[in-house]
Amino acid sequence: MERIKSYYQDFNVFANEDHWDDHTREIVRKRLEPTGSLQKLTGEQVDMLRNIASLLLDDGRSSLLDWVIKHIDNKLQSDIGEAQRKVGVPPFATLLKGGLYALNELAQGENGSPFTALTPEQQTSLLVALENNTVTLTAEDGQPIPPKDFFNNLLSEVVSAHYSHPQVWSEIGYAGPAYPRGYVRLEVGLSDPWEARMSKEGPER
Amino acid sequence: MSQDPIQHNICHYDGHRYDDLDHRKYATDADVVIVGAGTAGGIIAYELARSGLKVVVIEAGPFWNPQSDFASDELAMATLGWQDTRLTDGQNPLRMGHNNSGRGIGGGSAHWTGVCLRFHESDFEMRSRDGIGEDWPISYADLEPYYRYIEKQIGVSGPKHFPWGSFQGPYPMPERDPISANSEVFRIGCERLGLKSVVTPLAINSAPFDGRPPCTNRGFCNQGCMPNAKYSGLVHHVPKAIEAGAEFLTDCMVTQIELDEKGRAKSVIFNYKGVEYRQRGRVIVLASFVVETPRLLLASAQNGHPDGLCNSSGTVGRYIMPHSSHDVYGRFEHEIRLYKGTPVMATTQEFYETRHDRGFLRGYTLHAHGSRPVAMAKGLAVQAGVWGRRLRDAMVHYNHYGRITLVGEVLPDAANRVTLSDERDEYGLPVPKVTFSYGDNDRKLIDHAVHMMKEILTAAGGTPEFVVPDTAHLSGGARMGDDPETSVVNHHCQTHDIPNLFICSAAVFVTSGGGNPTHTVMALAARTADTIQDLLKRQDL
Ligand SMILES: Cc1cc2nc3c(=O)[nH]c(=O)nc-3n(C[C@H](O)[C@H](O)[C@H](O)COP(=O)(O)OP(=O)(O)OC[C@H]3O[C@@H](n4cnc5c(N)ncnc54)[C@H](O)[C@@H]3O)c2cc1C
Ligand code: SF4
Repeated sequence: MERIKSYYQDFNVFANEDHWDDHTREIVRKRLEPTGSLQKLTGEQVDMLRNIASLLLDDGRSSLLDWVIKHIDNKLQSDIGEAQRKVGVPPFATLLKGGLYALNELAQGENGSPFTALTPEQQTSLLVALENNTVTLTAEDGQPIPPKDFFNNLLSEVVSAHYSHPQVWSEIGYAGPAYPRGYVRLEVGLSDPWEARMSKEGPER
Repeated sequence: MSQDPIQHNICHYDGHRYDDLDHRKYATDADVVIVGAGTAGGIIAYELARSGLKVVVIEAGPFWNPQSDFASDELAMATLGWQDTRLTDGQNPLRMGHNNSGRGIGGGSAHWTGVCLRFHESDFEMRSRDGIGEDWPISYADLEPYYRYIEKQIGVSGPKHFPWGSFQGPYPMPERDPISANSEVFRIGCERLGLKSVVTPLAINSAPFDGRPPCTNRGFCNQGCMPNAKYSGLVHHVPKAIEAGAEFLTDCMVTQIELDEKGRAKSVIFNYKGVEYRQRGRVIVLASFVVETPRLLLASAQNGHPDGLCNSSGTVGRYIMPHSSHDVYGRFEHEIRLYKGTPVMATTQEFYETRHDRGFLRGYTLHAHGSRPVAMAKGLAVQAGVWGRRLRDAMVHYNHYGRITLVGEVLPDAANRVTLSDERDEYGLPVPKVTFSYGDNDRKLIDHAVHMMKEILTAAGGTPEFVVPDTAHLSGGARMGDDPETSVVNHHCQTHDIPNLFICSAAVFVTSGGGNPTHTVMALAARTADTIQDLLKRQDL
């Protein structure tokens, strides 16, 4: 996979995987598996989500987006609770599916084409409108979808998945799982030999 | 010893645990039934079991095995939080789940950060000293012996001298050394501003203690400690309680409290894999934390108790308090590497006590506070609105950020409360609704603290860049007090309305205090165990 420019051109978190415990290794490895067939998301929803996620993350690399989509599909399959849901906000699945439907309608209404056919600039301005609660969204069945909650819930899942990907860990110089080994050198200026080393070239600005 | 002690205790019936609940140790003759095997529940169970009482603890979540259930991974370990949906409301709806509520053996202590601070004398005397809020019905002096007892029992590490509050140190175990880069930078910033700081008192081993190893600095305290270096009920009090004879029923959700004809607590109903069971006890203790305690009391409304149990005052569910817990990130020229080390290793309480030149009452604690990528990115994105190009730019510099976190007092307010909604969960119980809004004093305190956090980062050579609004911890909802008209439990954590029903957890807090709450939860639990033992001995229950 192509790498973004960062301080840590040479670091690969997986080089340390022999030092991870089995449970953690199994969890992290799963993120690299091919997506397989999705259970809950339709092709249209996936296309929209890939567009949205690449803008939220400013990162359109395909294999990273695969994992984001898989994570959202997993979440839709799970019957574990949502920890919290604001009064007046529909459950996650309704919020997500209703929100995507309504966003597409909005794109059609304002720009005359589906969301995925818009330019990134047009897409971004719609996302900003969601964030600022300056549009009205209505699901297919007429249920109102609160725009900002739709935006924030989606943002939360997309960002959590992306920053759980080992490729991203490598790029930002995060050493990742550290059990049983742990760290010996903690103080300013010190690092253990297996941690990421800054390369001369810095990140793109 | 070849056997993993934690694993061993999952199988506490002669090596086997029945997975049907018709084989129980004290099905009909328990002395004490405790709801919730969290921080308080584990301590009460241990103290009462070793005094010879028959103790049953009923816990909604699993009996974790750190080796096979925990992982060095943020996303996967959200499971340590109470994930059942709660409805949230108010001006500042709370983040629940992993942010403030634990589930499973250990409760919140399985994923806490281990910061182990005593409250100050002033924390118990808000109304007398500041003319607002409420006083506790107990004083610092009442809890002092129990703070000391717990510190010794779990081997709290900390400085030789602690410069704030009544307790001046030393702690039973030496302070942590070395400390993380983020904590070093914090202390440098404080020093340059003339603020005292210390290496944080932690319920985390600085040296081998009680058969558990010292911390390896892997930084995943909030994901569950895999080497068992961090104190939790799971690795300390619960195994010891089991050894002393207590029984722990896990994956069992208590849904109802039953009374006898005289109006005394008789039994609880719990649900295991869709089947309901009953557990009787002479004394029942709710150690089920801040949301589930009021929920259970309110949902147990029955003849003679139309508004829920123990609610003659109308205060059940009221006066819940988080701490304000904003994070400030500052960028540094050199690397900090926020992932390394125990997350919190340096602290200041210079702003703890009320001052009359700051425009608000009460105060706060500041901690150097590490972070892993998911928590940082999600906080920036969702709570601070940093996404797209700005988020990517920040995260590419992940290793160059330092972070300070606030633990700020939030004043008690009757309107901040837990109520029952119209929605039902899988057990048929009403889904709880948690309403929270900051008050004026809370917001002024936050502004002051954010300003100070920026000053410290700047003094340390960093550039403050992001403020992430957040909350941490929860307390209240079944508060203590001498007056049955305005409180739920008395100074012994015994409910005013039902003498053999006790409540002991963060739910009984009257005020939130200006620092992390759990040492006070532990001290209250040890004290409540003493009370129950006394009353049972005197046949007074
Ligand atoms: C991420 C995080 C970090 C923290 N860090 C710190 C820190 O550094 N320092 C500090 O002082 N505090 C910290 N805390 C706070 C600390 O975890 C809590 O204050 C403490 O655990 C409260 O103890 P408790 O006994 O009141 O409740 P808990 O420990 O939450 O225990 C309640 C138990 O009751 C069970 N339960 C609830 N309802 C039912 C029911 N109906 N039936 C059966 N069982 C039930 C729950 O599953 C749970 O196990 C942190 C919390 C979190 C979330
Ligand atoms: S930092 Fe230390 S105490 Fe925290 S999880 Fe890691 S080993 Fe355990």
